[in-house]
Amino acid sequence: MPNHFEAMVIFALAVSVAFALLSKQSTRERAVYFLWAFLGFMAVAIGIGWLMYPFSR
Amino acid sequence: MAETEKHAESTAKGNQPLAIFAAVAGWLVPGLGHLLLGKWGKAIGYFLAVAVLAVLGLRMRGDVFISGGDAFGMLGFLADLGAGAFYFFAHAINAAGPDVSRAAGDYGTRLIATAGVLNLLFVLEAYQLGLHREARS
Repeated sequence: MPNHFEAMVIFALAVSVAFALLSKQSTRERAVYFLWAFLGFMAVAIGIGWLMYPFSR
Repeated sequence: MAETEKHAESTAKGNQPLAIFAAVAGWLVPGLGHLLLGKWGKAIGYFLAVAVLAVLGLRMRGDVFISGGDAFGMLGFLADLGAGAFYFFAHAINAAGPDVSRAAGDYGTRLIATAGVLNLLFVLEAYQLGLHREARS
């Protein structure tokens, strides 16, 4: 069973692939969109995680 | 003149039967609607995206909503139902059932709902592609 971080990475991968296929037509456009969406998901999730860290204790 | 009007009308309407068939097929088995329309790449991508999210969510013991709850439960049910076969075979994929007393189960609930909502987007696209196909021919 994946831990929470792995589950988040898998979620970001699956949703990024889906959005790239839905919204873009060419392979190159899809690849770029996928990369940005995936990195965006990860950056936001990790960023919010760090922001919440002081309040976790 | 009448023929031109007839053609314009059929173009505007599109191929409703094909569109509905593709949409229903795509709902039952994610990606199948696109497969029937010859969109192999999208079909595989969509199936994998929904399957990974739904199976992972169920294996993490996420909650699968049934109809008849309150408003939030109903929204959860509609989202989950969007995953088609993965909703109907949820018990076979995770016989242990949901356990939302742990954070993993709670995350699993969201993954299952995401799989369903994504598949509803794919169903709408399959419907639109089905309509468009007739308009071209």
